[in-house]
Amino acid sequence: MQAEFRAPRRRNRVQEDFEASLPVSHSSRKRAQLRAELINQHVLVCRPEDIQKIYSQGYFGKGILSKARPDHSISDQWEYHEGLLFPVISSSSYRELLQWARAFLSAQGWDNEAISQMMTNLSRPVQIEDVKKEVDGECPVVEGGVGPFTKRPRSEVNPKAKRSCSDPDSEHVVSGAGFVLVVFEEEVRELRRIPVPVTEYLQLSLEEAFFLVYGLGCLSVCLNQEPLSILQLWKTFRAQRPDFVCSYAAYHYFRCKGWVPKGGGGAKYGVDFMLYRKGPPFYHASYSVVVQPVNSEYKGTGTRPFTWRSLAALNRITTNVSKELLFCYVVFPANLSDAELESPQCLSRLKVQEVIVSRWISSRERAEQDDI
Amino acid sequence: MGFSAEGKRYLLPEEALYLMECGSLQVFYEDLALSIQDAYEIFLSSETVSLHQYQVFGHLKRLGYVVHRFDPSSLPSRYAQQLNLPQSGKNAGNQLKRKHDVSLTSTSAPSLSKTLVPTTDTMSADEHMKDESVDESVAMTSSESTADESSTTDSAVMVEPRKWWTSDIIEDKGSNHRNCSRSGWDFSSILFPDLGSKENLSGSLASPDPSLLPGALAVGVCDVASWRSKINQRKVKGSPEHRRRGVDNQRQGWHGKKDEEVQSCKNWTEFNDLMARHQHRRQDEQAEHLWNREVTPLHDPSQPLPTRELLDICSVIKPTCLLEGASRLKPAHEWRISFVVYQPDTASEFKKSKPRKPYTHVCVCGFDGPVPELQTVKLLTSQSGDVPVVFAVVDHGDVSFYTMKDFELPTDVFL
Repeated sequence: MQAEFRAPRRRNRVQEDFEASLPVSHSSRKRAQLRAELINQHVLVCRPEDIQKIYSQGYFGKGILSKARPDHSISDQWEYHEGLLFPVISSSSYRELLQWARAFLSAQGWDNEAISQMMTNLSRPVQIEDVKKEVDGECPVVEGGVGPFTKRPRSEVNPKAKRSCSDPDSEHVVSGAGFVLVVFEEEVRELRRIPVPVTEYLQLSLEEAFFLVYGLGCLSVCLNQEPLSILQLWKTFRAQRPDFVCSYAAYHYFRCKGWVPKGGGGAKYGVDFMLYRKGPPFYHASYSVVVQPVNSEYKGTGTRPFTWRSLAALNRITTNVSKELLFCYVVFPANLSDAELESPQCLSRLKVQEVIVSRWISSRERAEQDDI
Repeated sequence: MGFSAEGKRYLLPEEALYLMECGSLQVFYEDLALSIQDAYEIFLSSETVSLHQYQVFGHLKRLGYVVHRFDPSSLPSRYAQQLNLPQSGKNAGNQLKRKHDVSLTSTSAPSLSKTLVPTTDTMSADEHMKDESVDESVAMTSSESTADESSTTDSAVMVEPRKWWTSDIIEDKGSNHRNCSRSGWDFSSILFPDLGSKENLSGSLASPDPSLLPGALAVGVCDVASWRSKINQRKVKGSPEHRRRGVDNQRQGWHGKKDEEVQSCKNWTEFNDLMARHQHRRQDEQAEHLWNREVTPLHDPSQPLPTRELLDICSVIKPTCLLEGASRLKPAHEWRISFVVYQPDTASEFKKSKPRKPYTHVCVCGFDGPVPELQTVKLLTSQSGDVPVVFAVVDHGDVSFYTMKDFELPTDVFL
C-alpha cells in the first residue's frame, strides 16, 4: 500500500518572485561559469553576481552572515542624507569596527605608527561631496554602502578581518568603499567611512556544490586558484566525508525530482535534510528526510542505529512541526567495487527507496473509517 | 469470537483470557475455576501468543475492532489477485459508500440554501461600498423597506444582531448622501502628511486646518524630527505584483546595456545576428577542467533544455519499490504478522464465513527491541498483499502503532 501524497502547505506571506528552478539558462547558448572556492574544506562563492544567481535560482547554499538568503548589511536602519541612502550604526558599533581594522592591520605586520596614521585617516569625518565623487565613479546606481542583494558597489572585494578562513589574496589596504552614518549623540549623525567592509559569501554544502558541478555543469570549484576536475572534486569530498556517496545520491535524487533539499535540518529537526517544494520562501517544508545506506540484502550498515525510543521521539518532533518523516534508503548493489566508487558514474547503479513513517492512532480513526 | 470444530465451540487462548478479564467468562480446569493469574500463565506461552501480542490484542478489542489471528494462506494468491476475483466483502463496502453519499447529499442542501442569503447581501454591500468611499459611522437608523430574502425581514423590529449591518447598507443611496453631508468631511481632499517620504520635509508639521478640529481645540506646530529619525528608510522588497508593475529591468539585464544596438536592429534577423556576434565576441572561460576529462557533467549548459528534460537527463538514480526483490528474502521468525484487524461496523453483521476486506495487519514488537530494517519491512509488505502493515510497539502495557509505507515523491516542475 502506498502512502498518500499530501499537498505542500504554502506560506502565508510570499514576498519573493520565483525566478527559475535551476541556475541554468533556457535560451542562451553560452557556458557562463559560476565560480566557487574551496577554502578550508568549505565551498564558498565569492563573486556577488554568482551569489545572486546561485541563490535565487534554486536556493542553493546559505549566506554566512545571514539566516538563509545572503542579505547581510551593516545595519538594519537606513536613512536618507543629502539625497543618498546610508546605513546607520551606533557609535559603539563604529568603535568596534575601528578596533577590528586596527587588529587586522597589526596582524598584517604594520608598525604602530603606520597603524595610527591609517586609523586617523579612516575615522576622519567624510563630506558628502567625497561620497558622491567616489560612488559616481564606480557605478551609476546611487546607493551609499550596500551588498549584492542590497546593491553594493561593484569594486567591493575587500575581505573581512574577523573571519577565520582567510582569503588568499589579502595584499590590500583597508580602504573601505562603503560609507555609514554614525550616531554620536542623540540626533547627531556624521558620515564616516566603514573601516572594515563586511562582505558576505555564500556557503554551499558539499552535495550542493557537487550537484552544480556534475549535474548541471554550471559551476567550477577552485582550490588555490586552480579549478578542480570532477574526479578530483569527488575524491576530495569523499575524503572529507566517508558517507558522501550515500548522502549525495539522496540529494541528487531529490533535486532531479524538482524538489529543493536544504541541509541544516540536523540541528533543528534531527534529520539529514528538509524537502521544500519550489523553495523555502514559498512553501513550508514538506518532508524531513533521514538517509540510510543499505546493502543488497536491504540490511543497514549500522552507521545510524535507531531504537524505538529515538524513532518515536523523531516522529513526534516531525509531527509537531507538521511535516512527514521520510526514510530514504540508498541501496548499494553487491557487486559495486571500490574502483567504481571512485567515480561519480557509480551513481547510476544505486537505487533509492522511500518509506514514510507515521504513527497510527487506533482510537481516533475508529470513527472516520478511513484507511490507514 | 472463537470457532467451531467437531460440533463443539472453541475459544482461542487470547480470546478466553480477554473474556475472563472482562468478567464475562469463567474457565474450569478439572472442576476448578482458574484465576486470572493461572490463566495468564497457562494461556500465554511461546506456542500460543506472547504477552506482548496479548496486550495488543486486548488493546484493539477494547477499542472495538475485530481481531483475528493471521493465517497466511487466507490471502488470495498472486494469481487470484491478477484475476481480480470479486471479494466477498464488496457488498459491505458498497453499503459503506452509500452511507457516505447519503450524508453528503443531506448536508449539501442546507449549505446551498445558506449560501444564497449571504452572497446577495455581500454583493449589494460591495456595490454600495464602492460608490461611497466614505467610511461613515453606521448609525442604527431604522431601515427602510428592504426587499430582503432573508427570513428576518421585519424591518420595523430590531433585526438580529448579525444582520443589522446588512439591512443598514441596503438603504438606498439617498440616505447615504445624507450621512455624508452630516459629517461634512471629504476624505479625498484631506491630505495626511507623509512623514516617511524621501524629500526633506521640514522638521515640523504645520498645524491642521481648524475646520477639521473639534470644537475649540487649538493645535500648534508639531515637531517631527525625533519621529523621522526613528524611521527606517531601508528599501524593502515589495510584493511580486507590486514590483512587476514597476520598472523591473533585471530580467532584461544585459539587453538594457546595449540598448542602442538592440534598438538599431530593424527585424529579427538583425537581432539574431547581433546576438551571435556578442557571443563570439565574449571571451567565456572555457572550462576545460570540466569538459575535457574523462568524467563530464551530465548536462551541458550550452545546450539549453526545458526544465523537465533537464531533470530527466540528470535522473541517473532510479527509485525502487518495497515489493521489488522481496521474493528472495527469507522470512524471519521474530518478525511476522500476528493479527488481522477488521473495522467495527455496527450496521452490518460481521460474518466469520465471509469477512470483509481487512483493515490492517499487525506485527507486534517490544519497545526494547530493534526497529525493523528495510529488509523486514519489505518482507512483511510482500506477505501482506495489499493490506497495510502496522507495527504495534508494546512498552509495559502501553501500545503505540507505527506504519512504514512505500512512497514515491512526485516530480515537480516549474517553468
